[in-house]
Amino acid sequence: MQLKGNRQSLLPGFVVSCALFAMATGLLLLLFSQQGNNSINLGSRYHRILAWTALQATLSTMISVVIGIVLGWALSHRQRFPGRAVFIALLSSALVLPTLVVALGLVTVLGRSGWINDALQLAGFDPFKPFIYGLPGILIAHAYFNASFAARTVLNRLQSIPSSQLKLASSLGLTPLQRFRLLEFPALTTALPALCTTIFLLCFTSFAIVLVLGGSPKYNTLEVSIYEAIKLDFDLGRAIGLSLLQLGVCALLVLATNRSASVLSIGAPARLTTGLHYSKTEIANQYLVIVTFGIFFLMPLVAIVSDGVTGDLFKVLLQPVFVKALITSIAIATASTIIVLFASILICSSITTLAVRQGAEASLLSRLMLRFINFSATLYLVIPSLVLGLGFFLLARQTGGSYLLWSVVSLLAANTLLVLPFALTSLSPAMIKAANRYDRLALSLSITGLARWRLIESTLVRPELAYVASLAFCMSLGDLGVIALFGSQDFVTLPWLLYQKMGSYRTAEAAGVALVTLALTLFVFLTLPRIGTAPRET
Amino acid sequence: MKFISLIFTALISTATFAQGKPVLTVYTYDAFAADWGPAPGIEKAFEETCNCDLVFVAADSSIGALRKIQLEGPQTSADLIVGLDTNIAEAARATGLFAEHGADTSKVTLPTGDWSDKTFLPFDYSYFAFVYNKENVATPPTSFEELIALPADFKIVIQDPRSSTPGLGLLLWIQQAYGDKANDIWKGLQPHIVTVTKGWSDAYGLFLKDEADMVLSYTTSPAYHSIAESDDRFASAAFSEGHYLQIEVAGILQSSKNQQLARDFLQFMLSDTVQDIIPTTNWVYPATSTEAGLPEGFQSLHLPEKTLLIDGVEVEKQRKSWIDQWVDTLGQ
Repeated sequence: MQLKGNRQSLLPGFVVSCALFAMATGLLLLLFSQQGNNSINLGSRYHRILAWTALQATLSTMISVVIGIVLGWALSHRQRFPGRAVFIALLSSALVLPTLVVALGLVTVLGRSGWINDALQLAGFDPFKPFIYGLPGILIAHAYFNASFAARTVLNRLQSIPSSQLKLASSLGLTPLQRFRLLEFPALTTALPALCTTIFLLCFTSFAIVLVLGGSPKYNTLEVSIYEAIKLDFDLGRAIGLSLLQLGVCALLVLATNRSASVLSIGAPARLTTGLHYSKTEIANQYLVIVTFGIFFLMPLVAIVSDGVTGDLFKVLLQPVFVKALITSIAIATASTIIVLFASILICSSITTLAVRQGAEASLLSRLMLRFINFSATLYLVIPSLVLGLGFFLLARQTGGSYLLWSVVSLLAANTLLVLPFALTSLSPAMIKAANRYDRLALSLSITGLARWRLIESTLVRPELAYVASLAFCMSLGDLGVIALFGSQDFVTLPWLLYQKMGSYRTAEAAGVALVTLALTLFVFLTLPRIGTAPRET
Repeated sequence: MKFISLIFTALISTATFAQGKPVLTVYTYDAFAADWGPAPGIEKAFEETCNCDLVFVAADSSIGALRKIQLEGPQTSADLIVGLDTNIAEAARATGLFAEHGADTSKVTLPTGDWSDKTFLPFDYSYFAFVYNKENVATPPTSFEELIALPADFKIVIQDPRSSTPGLGLLLWIQQAYGDKANDIWKGLQPHIVTVTKGWSDAYGLFLKDEADMVLSYTTSPAYHSIAESDDRFASAAFSEGHYLQIEVAGILQSSKNQQLARDFLQFMLSDTVQDIIPTTNWVYPATSTEAGLPEGFQSLHLPEKTLLIDGVEVEKQRKSWIDQWVDTLGQ
């Protein structure tokens, strides 16, 4: 009976999921059925590429999760210090920071003639040998993005430990290690499998970082090998073969781990004081961790700002190509944001209906539907943007039509798939909460459809919507994926322009582009959610 | 979604249509199209007489420009490609996408003598060489074997033979000089390679940022520093094996709707106007001897005593297997 008013919200989300799924399968069928100049093959080195991709993803995951746990732990115990809120905001931002901007920042700091080496030489020490290009660089960059994500998740989990338990631990006189083993680690275990899988998949399909920091074919991931097969060798058969291989591996991983995405929420956690007493060494250790990783996370950004400002910032800003890239990027990001908002609202409505129903009468059908909808939202993890891009590419070749049009369509599709998993993670819990609170009331007042949305959800989940919007805008703004295939002089985005300028003759200009991208990303990411939560004027 | 993308298309593509004039689109590599490259000067000079809009589209590397055309297939907006070389020309010819250039090549003066290729037209040449900064490298290696013997912290940056003609040139250089032992040279080079870049300008940028001691470039590159920057610190290392010759070529696409204009442009590439622009913008030798001659500063450059060059047809027969082996060696 309770469900009657909800049923209508099931359809739109289901349709969106079906559309996403249809697009994915359509492109896949296209890949399968491709009769190109050469037959589908894997090339002679695929086992090596696969092994290497898995190895670096495993290492990256281990490093990221360990740093994440240590840093999240330190932050959960240091509730008050100047800059804590900023640091945590920064950790949340890492998710949306443009990969290339950070890569450029890391090179500026850790490169052969980077800041660290300059400082070492100034202090009279021998400089480091070059290490940023190759495995260390890839691991460091992956750790930068994923450790901050992990730290944020860990912090969230740790802060949700009831303070009564912490007080109990304190009165029992547990050592920090015992406390971690008995209290804190168990709190993490629910999140760890999903966290590890997500990070592993992100590193497994890593593209931009490996592309610019990889250095030699030795470090090619599957994703980069697909890119190279298309862009360097024009061997579509091999590109398709490798795409299918990557798809198979990712699909297996996603299906094997029954991931419940909600544990990965990185939304703002409730503040609490731990009420624990710490020894001096404990406090010192916690601060040591915070300061060390604070420097690690800040330095590349500081480097971008300082290089960008001292470089030819003004000259960069006035270049027509830059203006074009800026406008295109903002337009694409805006369009992607709108699409993501619509898609995630519709999908979340369905998830909410199904999730609420799960409590009431969990039929097999509704459980399957929930599975299906959830899976459609995580398609990106299975079908990385390059595979998607290749699909659109072949479609563009087969159908004729404007190449540019297909570029835009594939970019919007890729951005949508990229953001959706993260969008759902933060939106669906809020909508389920709203549903639990107001379903009966709405039903008894016969408020349904748009009216219900306007009166209930739009107010209650506004902060989450604003967050999703900022996420969608920033991730779309900074992503170098499909654009690497489609980018051209006629179709320039900021990340593509940055990729073009990076490491080339014009490093000062690269820093300028990076600075603008960074500033725009941080501005939108940090202010948009605030606008969302500001009280509505009446 | 479609509506939005239509707006985009309209928005973005307006820039490429000039007012009624035919648009001649040239795909090339980034350094050629750069503000400081030959393209702006050539564009200005050609547009004075052609009553057209000459547009250079930069790919991130020379072979990248060819791949872009292959990817776009018959829908490509390119009328011409500028910046392939004799090593990749056969691969380009095999695509069947190119038409005859129809240009008069009698003025061409290349180290290889007369020009007979009717599809691809030469417009400049130089010799591959490793460029170094004399302040950082006191005694540069004089051969690949000497380079390999240097301590592992002596770093070089090279280009990818799959995307960049200098990268391919190095592969062929070592191949011709060492034959069956070429792979050993690569094994020895591997620890010295900081990174393999997609195109020349990436590599050169890294070198100027001091990320490497030497960069794969041209014997003529130091001229840029001495002429444009009055900076005499840069030189190319003379190798006893000889130096591999690169002849850069241009070609017309069969799918081009501006065949005559494209032919005019190619002939214009051999005019004194363009040939005099080339040395101080692309920093290589022009393909013809112009009236004005080479600029001051080119005379002092190292001119290889021994020139290496593998026949293009032979290169194309072996290219795939040599590259596969290269990837394997570097991928270990």
